[in-house]
Amino acid sequence: MDLVQIARSNLEGFRYAGTEVALCVLIVALLLSGVILPFRKNRRLFLIISMLGLALAMTASLKQPGAGKGVRYFADLFLWDSFSVFFKLFFVAAAAFTILMAQMNREVEDYEFNECCLLVVSVTLGMVLLASSVDLLMIYLAFETMSLLSYLLVGIRFREARGGEAALKYVLYGAFTSGVMLFGFSLVYGLAGTTDIMEIGRILNSAHMAGQNRALFVLMVLFFLAGLLFKTASFPFHIWCPDVYEGAPTPVTAFLSVGPKAAGFAVFIRLFYTLFAREVGDQGFAAIEQVDWPAIVAVISAITMSLGNLSAIHQDNVKRLLAYSSIAHAGYLLMGIACLDKLGLEAVAFYLVVYLFMNLGAFAVVTAVNNGEGGEDIRFYRGLSARAPMACVAMAVFLFSLIGIPPFAGFVGKVFLFSAVILKKYYWLAIVAAINTVISLYYYVRLIKAMFIDQAEVSFEPRVSGVSYAVIGALALPTLVLGVYWQPLAAFIESIF
Amino acid sequence: MDPTTFKDYLFLIPLLPFAGAAINGILGRRLGLRAVHLIALGSVLGSFVLSVAGFLALVSIKSPEARRVVSVLYQWILIAGQTGSFHINVAFLLDPLSSVMCLVVTGVGFFIHVYSVGYMHGDPGRARYFAYLNLFTFSMLVLVLADNLLLMFVGWEGVGLCSYLLIGFWFSELDNARAGMKAFIANRVGDFGFFVGLMLLFWTLYVSSGQAVGSLSYGELKGAAPLLLDAEPILGLSVPTIICLALFMGATGKSAQIPLYVWLPDAMAGPTPVSALIHAATMVTAGVFMIVRLNFLYLLSPVALSVVATVGALTALYAASIAITQNDIKKVLAYSTISQLGYMFLGVGVSAFAAGIFHLVTHAFFKALLFLGAGSLIHAAHTNDIRKMGGLRAHMPATFFTFMVAFLAIAGIPPFAGFFSKDEILFSTFNAHLAAPGLGKLLWLVGLMGAGLTAFYMTRLVIVTFFGEFRGGESAEEKLHESPRTMTGPLVILAVLSAVGGFIGLPAVTHLPNLIGGFLEPVVALKGGAASHGSHSAALELGLMAVSVAAAAAGIYLGWYLYHKRPELPGALRERFKNLHAVVYNKYYVDEAYDRLFVRPVIAISRGTGRFDLGVIDWVVNALARATERISAGIGWEDLKVVDGLVNAIADAVKYWGYHTRRLTTGKVNHYLYSVVLGLFVLYLLVLIT
Repeated sequence: MDLVQIARSNLEGFRYAGTEVALCVLIVALLLSGVILPFRKNRRLFLIISMLGLALAMTASLKQPGAGKGVRYFADLFLWDSFSVFFKLFFVAAAAFTILMAQMNREVEDYEFNECCLLVVSVTLGMVLLASSVDLLMIYLAFETMSLLSYLLVGIRFREARGGEAALKYVLYGAFTSGVMLFGFSLVYGLAGTTDIMEIGRILNSAHMAGQNRALFVLMVLFFLAGLLFKTASFPFHIWCPDVYEGAPTPVTAFLSVGPKAAGFAVFIRLFYTLFAREVGDQGFAAIEQVDWPAIVAVISAITMSLGNLSAIHQDNVKRLLAYSSIAHAGYLLMGIACLDKLGLEAVAFYLVVYLFMNLGAFAVVTAVNNGEGGEDIRFYRGLSARAPMACVAMAVFLFSLIGIPPFAGFVGKVFLFSAVILKKYYWLAIVAAINTVISLYYYVRLIKAMFIDQAEVSFEPRVSGVSYAVIGALALPTLVLGVYWQPLAAFIESIF
Repeated sequence: MDPTTFKDYLFLIPLLPFAGAAINGILGRRLGLRAVHLIALGSVLGSFVLSVAGFLALVSIKSPEARRVVSVLYQWILIAGQTGSFHINVAFLLDPLSSVMCLVVTGVGFFIHVYSVGYMHGDPGRARYFAYLNLFTFSMLVLVLADNLLLMFVGWEGVGLCSYLLIGFWFSELDNARAGMKAFIANRVGDFGFFVGLMLLFWTLYVSSGQAVGSLSYGELKGAAPLLLDAEPILGLSVPTIICLALFMGATGKSAQIPLYVWLPDAMAGPTPVSALIHAATMVTAGVFMIVRLNFLYLLSPVALSVVATVGALTALYAASIAITQNDIKKVLAYSTISQLGYMFLGVGVSAFAAGIFHLVTHAFFKALLFLGAGSLIHAAHTNDIRKMGGLRAHMPATFFTFMVAFLAIAGIPPFAGFFSKDEILFSTFNAHLAAPGLGKLLWLVGLMGAGLTAFYMTRLVIVTFFGEFRGGESAEEKLHESPRTMTGPLVILAVLSAVGGFIGLPAVTHLPNLIGGFLEPVVALKGGAASHGSHSAALELGLMAVSVAAAAAGIYLGWYLYHKRPELPGALRERFKNLHAVVYNKYYVDEAYDRLFVRPVIAISRGTGRFDLGVIDWVVNALARATERISAGIGWEDLKVVDGLVNAIADAVKYWGYHTRRLTTGKVNHYLYSVVLGLFVLYLLVLIT
């Protein structure tokens, strides 16, 4: 291939990389506007720039590939298919809500806001690249782009001991696990001789590989899992999660609990369902013979949700409580991955969307309460409904949805997950998950009780601004609507797998 | 409007009040009063206009059988089964039945909204009030327009919720809050039955009969209903009977029939327009509507229909007898409502479905009018007690005249609305062939006695409130005034409807068309009811008519004689029959009986289990703990060093690991590496296990 042809094919690639380009433009715009001194502390300006850029990225992601398998671009490193488009939309939406939340948040100082936007957008770029890359090297690069920048994001308040500590903890843990994962990548490369995951998948699943190299496969699966379970904050690599979530500013916590976690699930699905499984029939997949990884994932899922829920019971810090709750939700989501069929994957994608709204919503209310003289401790929530009724009602909606009570979206999401698991005849897992749902009822309702029934302990005036209400409302609406009208979303998700 | 184009607008009928509720509910306190009123009234008026358009669109269809417009909004639930799928749509159905109901709900509802503007004048919670009222209208419209049973159940529960919210609207008073709870619980009992019926229907038609239906839509149910007859009987009762009785249990809760009527009198704690709209004109008729909607199901079970008719007739007589003794004007009307609902059930129970709906419509007119008139009286006299009223005729002429029209209508004096509808029900009852021979005649007699009592207690009410001297004291008398235009306006319109509303369902003997009967014909299978008109002699019909008019006249005369001509007599009679009066006045002690039978035992049981939990279970747990302690202390002396050491080692390791992952300040980065390695080790163990 001569240079002209390469150049032409790369230019061609830009047709599919609209989201990435829009995000890059936004990063440059934020960088440039951030260095102009008079603008340094202008929150509104950066907010507008970010929103415009993200809106651009959103529209650029809207174009859907046809029924075909998608298009490779940029030297075949990336794939433009419905799967990546879905996750691109997801990440851009998460970024938009995060920046809106950060704008109204007082934990992020005025002079840090520009950096905050910049980092959120950059992490989003990493996630978007991750969702579309189909090459081991590119996956690793995108993974690290996302990770490194999210370490910075956690440490954005590095002058505060808690923030710095959290960031360093995150870095160390992340560095080790991603190192292990990279080791796994190298093993795969050594075995297959290529970095194209579709090609590797064909080789690993080919007939002459069947039953061979068991030890090597075990190591590969283990090492892959290390990196992915770290990103999704699942057992046994979840230990960093509560401390990091507590130490980071609330909007960042919200972002981490949704964005990178979902990215972890995206790449989990992409890697395991191409490398270690092959499509069988119309709906199902078959795992490689060497390692029964779906069973491992099922066990991990059960342990993760139980661990998250049981630890959350004793938490009095609402952010920490939501951190454990997000660990538990990672467990629920892993159930779908263990199913090894399209129903399970659809359930995961559906639940992620629902989780985006309800979890960001819960964090948005926490942000709003933090803004007054309130804090993250549960005592600030006692009797809050008398002073901020709408915020409390919205919080109740988010929490009920997180429990999975109809008619909220979380219920529908759980129904999809549970039915996938039950159809797969993983009855024990369904029972464990059902028990976990009951356990989770306890600590979520405890918070609701604090808000609506308990007497106020600390009297402070929660300052919930109009923007906060708008953000909370914008998150509560889909949480309600998807609880009764989920068919279009379910149909859309059905088309991506 | 063209029916096919109207289909696209059908969803707006319920949606408009919902939008009104949402706006007033969320922004109500920020909006001005004028805006709140405009939104609340405008949304219901919009629905009414659309309902009229829908009605006209239906009528424009020539063939009565084709008068059916179904609009599917979206697929709500989809369950992919082994051989076929089960799906439920959010879909609305406009047919003659739902069209009539829509007109009543939005029409009467609109006037009550207008009236509320005057009635709730100065109440700080007005925005909330109108939001609830709109939400109720929305739920009721969902109930009547739903195309399948599940969506109807959503509306069914929705109206229950709104009723609860509005009964306890002035929740700062404990009694009001308590009345709300009572209504809620009585309805829960009924709804339990309803849900059992729903599930049994679903089970027999979908699961056990190899998927005869793919949804719960009425059209499909109607086609598949005969299959129910083939199902294996349960406990000696046929499956349709059980389903119908279970659904009827829901109806007794919602429509306040024996034995679940107890909540309705207490529900009068809510604002009076609410009583008029929810607890008289619309929501409480949901049970009647449900049976008419599912008439194809009920026709499969003569037993269930006979039960419905019997319960209806008994309730009609029973509630009327209580109404005689009550002194709270709203309580009198509440028992009157229960009694009139009994007539509706009697009508549908003898398969005169159109007559039941006809009475529902006329009752909506005159009972809403009575309640609104009562509200007007209460507004002026500031009391509910009729003993403290009297002579109000002179002070409130508009209220008086409109109230009189309603009085004549409910008493059954021709040609006012109530006469035609009640008479058609009684006539159908007389000719009905029920499960037991002679039952029809017996129920007719019960209904006739009820009609006499109705005329009697209404006469008493009218005489005590409007005639004689004012008994509320001088200071109150000075403040007496006619109510504002927003209140009297709706009264006048409802009075006109109560006067002439009966002409939409003229009896066969007049040889004029029975408009409502003909209109509803495609929905209700013709059997008994309207059809029997033709098959019986005109003489019989006229004779029965004369008997019921005579009963009404006798009731009125007796009331006039006792309370106007010889006002000292009621007191003397009360003394003479002290015990009987006490029993009736205390509503036959049913509330007390329920309290003894259900409420107190439940509380006692819960206390008992609480004590059992504290006394027995805790004791056992504690004893076990102590025993374990003893045993471990006992064998402690020969504790195995190895086990102990191992346990300690693990504990220390966990502590050490936990401590160092938590406390970064130790600065030992390698501990992180250890924890990652440990994690990998755990993963490897999992690989070995699986």
